[in-house]
Parts: sequence; structure tokens; C-alpha cells
Amino acid sequence: MRITPLLPVTASMATAAAGLSLSAFAVDYMSPQQAQAALFPQADRFTVREVALDAAALQALATQAGAPARSAQWKVVEASQGGKLLGWVVVDNVVGKFELITYAVALTPEGVVRQVEVLSYRESHGGEVRLPAWRQQFVGKTAANGLRLGQDIANISGATLSCAHLTEGVRRIAALVELARSRRLLGG
Amino acid sequence: MALPTMTLPTFKLPPSMRLQRLALLTGTCLSLTALAPAMSHAADTPASQRERALQQRLEQLSTDLQALKAEMAELRRQQQSDRAVVDSASATAQAARSDAAAAASAAQAASTSVAAQGSVNGAMNGTDLALPSAPATVLTGYGELNYNRYHNDKSKNEADVRRLVLGVQHRFDARTRLVTELEVEHSVTSASDGGEVAIEQAYVERQLDDQWAVRAGLFLIPAGLLNERHEPTTYYGVERNFVETAIIPSTWREGGVQFVGNLDHGLTLQLGLATSFDVSKWDSTDAETADSPLGAVHQEMAQAHAKDLAFFGALNWRGVPGLQLGGSLFSGKGGQGQTAAAGNGLRVSLWDLHARYLVAGWDLSAVYARGTIGGTAAFNTLTLSSGPDWYPVPRRFDGAYVQAAYQLWSAGDLSLSPFVRLERFNTRKAYADLGLGLTQTAAPTERVYTVGANLNVGSGVVFKADVQRFHANKDRNRLDLGVGWSF
Repeated sequence: MRITPLLPVTASMATAAAGLSLSAFAVDYMSPQQAQAALFPQADRFTVREVALDAAALQALATQAGAPARSAQWKVVEASQGGKLLGWVVVDNVVGKFELITYAVALTPEGVVRQVEVLSYRESHGGEVRLPAWRQQFVGKTAANGLRLGQDIANISGATLSCAHLTEGVRRIAALVELARSRRLLGG
Repeated sequence: MALPTMTLPTFKLPPSMRLQRLALLTGTCLSLTALAPAMSHAADTPASQRERALQQRLEQLSTDLQALKAEMAELRRQQQSDRAVVDSASATAQAARSDAAAAASAAQAASTSVAAQGSVNGAMNGTDLALPSAPATVLTGYGELNYNRYHNDKSKNEADVRRLVLGVQHRFDARTRLVTELEVEHSVTSASDGGEVAIEQAYVERQLDDQWAVRAGLFLIPAGLLNERHEPTTYYGVERNFVETAIIPSTWREGGVQFVGNLDHGLTLQLGLATSFDVSKWDSTDAETADSPLGAVHQEMAQAHAKDLAFFGALNWRGVPGLQLGGSLFSGKGGQGQTAAAGNGLRVSLWDLHARYLVAGWDLSAVYARGTIGGTAAFNTLTLSSGPDWYPVPRRFDGAYVQAAYQLWSAGDLSLSPFVRLERFNTRKAYADLGLGLTQTAAPTERVYTVGANLNVGSGVVFKADVQRFHANKDRNRLDLGVGWSF
């Protein structure tokens, strides 16, 4: 299933987009709150769901993500409008080459990736992962389908590690939300 | 006496920091309030107007203090209530976990919702990985060990620790950092060994704004695809390609100032002023100088002659995922005042065009690089000789390659990528005219075919094997094996 990701561009999103520019390192582009609002502009309520995974769930997450599960505690933000679920946002950090990349993944209620935003990029090289064209490749993908670097997601010359670790991070988050949904860990 | 004017600060800090700040402000207010009785005694003196003003300020401070106390109490109350919610959440999770243990099929963990009004703060994962704003020091390194086995003359076979590089990167703050690399080539450096110890990079980088950063120190020149990213895990084949060693003298670094701009639409622009080559140290009796003209005259900031500086620039575009298109130019005078009039006209220029496309398992790349040294006629007459063993400074040298690699197989963190590379290069393509019978003859263009494979283990280790066939000098035909790493 492929979800059309683009929402009507609101004033706040347009402002956020206008402020975007690539940078060498240590630049914060958006706070988690700004990212939530930009990813789900219609939402009137954001709720943090704390997902705790036991050993079996951690194992399942690692298998599904094809990468270490990394943590047993996850914060997943539920976006809703008038009590209706719009989707999920997970804000996370991964190490690029030497520095952390802070990014946010928005998913539909069905767990399909809707949008990826880079909130902070701190490496000297590889800032091209912030380019909309590169991030657009994630849209419509799921953990089980289409999140392999080099195959589904094109690598960026000179930014291999940032691409690899960010793609792994998105895959882990997609798998986490999928797992949490199927095991009813997200409440609601 | 002037009292500091106090205004209530705007609170945008996390609750814990706000509490600390409030406590500090409250303390200040309390000590100021304690001064009040002493000041009321002073009301009998003539300067009563100033004291009345002081009195008013104290009253204002007292009001502010009340407001601060109220806010502090409110924050404490909020924090306690937040803790209670989290406590009850983890208790629920604990309980759910024990239930799950008892009944193996049951859901293993409870979800807890912490309701929030509007947006939510602090919902970030992975913050335990590092503190991005704090000072931090990272140890980096790469290395490669190579084995070359020649087809014709086995006496040339060689096993070598080609290079081992250790680096330290230190971030002083979120915008300022240091990058250093120390390299040892060929394992042992001593009076009787041919090794080399070198500082490969040593520069400070400062982020100026969202787009531009500035570097000062010894840095890599942006040229071709390999020079700035030359770790063995990033290129195919045991040895670096000839175009980016014989024409572009990788690992090529100069000292100076460089601006790096990451512009919109995937454009990266690098511009700078740096030390240049010293052509005066050219040895026209040494065949090796002719193998890499710029490698023979680069200075690597080792007590570099700095009379003549160079300008450089590079533009790269990565606007389409997987695609990189770019070019670079470096140009500077190369006499450095070392050989008087004969060297004054020397100018070294090097430019390149490059492209790389990573798509569906393919890694396709192409580079063309061309160098010129102007004013060599006068300079070469100083060493005028004849015959094949005379290697004067060439006027022009160039080279190009195309390469295709494909990730054929992968399992877990292993991946195997065979590749093929076709190169042609000429380090002595043309000489300046010295007059009848004196001009040295240009060398034939060499063509090299390389076929091999990289076996990557994760992103940090690579095993390599390839076969190289030379068109002009068949004595160089060889088999190469290598292991490399990078972190």
C-alpha cells in the first residue's frame, strides 16, 4: 500500500521549509515540537506513548529491523485530531560517522512511513541527507518492504555512513511502530 | 549607589533548569531585601530623593520575589505531579511485565499515555548515545596492508604496510572543532628505511551560519572523487587509481584558509587560498618525479616555501539521490623565489571533472583530470640534457578513468562488490618547446585495466583483490591483495 504523503502545505510548514538549508555541522533546524507540528499540521493533540519492550519483543524488533533494537524503552508520539488518530511521530538520534543525527519519522496509523525530517545535523560531510529528494525515498515504505540502502534507498556519494545509519534508524522505527501496533502496546 | 535593575526573565528552559534559575534569583532577592533596614536608617540624611527611589525599587523587588515564589511553588507542584505520572506508568509497565512472564502468551508490556496539551516536550529517543553540545574527542583511524605480485619480474613482489593513520577530532563546542591525522607510510621510518611520517590533516573548522563553515590549517584539497575521501573502505581496488595519484597527487593537502558552503538544492561550494607547489625542487634525473609530476613538487606544509600562494575552488552537486556531479580548479605560481628569474614564470594549474552515480546496487564513476605547468621552457634550460634519462618538467599531463562496480552478494554485514576500471593517463603528455633538437619527447599514454572485487565486512573493514594489466609497460602487470579498515 502506498500512501500519498503530501498534506496541504500550511503556513507553518512553508515557513519551516523556507528556513531549511544544508549545513556542514552543528546546526539545529527544528525542535521536536516544531517537527511534530510540521509533520502533522492538522493535529490538535500530541500524546506520548511510552513503549516498553521485553526480551522477546526486543528480539522481534531486531529481527524485523535487521539491526540492533538498541533500547527497550521508546517514546512514540501519537498525533490526533478531534480524537481521531492521524499517525505517529518518533524522534530519534543515530550516529552518522562521528556525530549524532537527530531526525523524526512520521508514520500513518497503518505504520507506513509518511515523512522523514532531519532536525539536527552535526557532521562535516554528508549533510545531503537533508535534501528533500533523498528523504522522499522513504515515503510509502514499511519495515518489511523497501528500506534497504543501495537497493530501495539510493546512497549519497561521500555520505555513505550517514545514509546507512539513518536508513537503519528509519527501518528500526518503522519496525517498532509495526510491532507496537500488532502487540497493542500503543494504547489508545 | 545604583542597584541592579531586575526584571522577570523569559522562561524557555526545561523545568529543572527553570527551578535552579528561580532559586538563584530568589536568593539574590532575599539578600537585597536584607539590605532594606540599613537603608531606611539612611533616610535621615539629605539625599532623601535617591533613597525614596531606592525604597521604591526594593518594594518592586519584593513584589517580584512574591511572583517568583509563586512560580517556583507551581513548578515544584508540576514536577511532583509529572513524577507521579511516570512512576505510575513504570509501575503499570512492571506489573504488566510480570503478568506477561506468568502468562507467556500475554502481551509483554503496557503502554502508558502521558497526556499533554498541544505539543509534547522531551519525546526524544536515543539521547543516551552522546551529548552533541558538549566538548568531545573522537579517535579515528584507517590503514591498509597491500601485497603486489608481478607477473614478469617476481623480484619486484612486495608486501607493505602501505599506510596507517591515526586521527583525533576534537569538538570544542557545537560550532568549533579540530581535525588532525598523523600518518605513517611503509611501516618503519629510520635512516635506513624508506618509511614516512606525515601530518596529513591539521585544521580548525568553525561553523559560521546555517550554510557556511571556514577551515584554517592543513587540509585536503577538494579535487576528484578520492582525495578528500581516501580511506580504503571508500574506493575499489587494492591500490588507489592512477589518475587520482599520478595526476591528482592524492593524498594532496595544502595549508591555508578554506570556506565550505553547503548551499540549497544539493550544491556544495568550496573556495580557498593555500600554499602552492615548489617546482624548483624538481629533480630532472629522477624517473620517479616523472611518474607523478605534482607528487614530486608538492610541499605538504613541511617548511613550505610560501612566497607564491594558490587559489582553489570546487563545486559539487548531489541534488538527485545517488548522483554526484562536480569539478575543481587549483592554480598557483610555483617558483617560490627559489631559482630567481627562471622560476618566476612557473604556474601550476590542475582541474578535474567528475561524476558518480549510485543506483540499484551499481556504483558508477568517471574522472577526468588535467594539469599544466606554465613557464617550464626557461626553467628546463637550467638542467638541459638529452636522452631518455633526462626528465624535465612537463608542460601538460592528464588522465581519465571510468569504473563500474556492482554489489553482487550480501549476507548479514558482508557484501561483495566486483568492479572493473579502465584508465588512461600520461604524466608527460607535452613539453615546452626548447628549440630544434632540444625539446624532450612526450611519453606514450599508459592504459590500465583493473578487474577485482571488494569484500566489505560491515562499514569498517574491507578485503580486496584485483588484477591489473598495463598496455604500455607490461612489466607492471600484477595481482594485488589487500586488507584495509577505517573508523
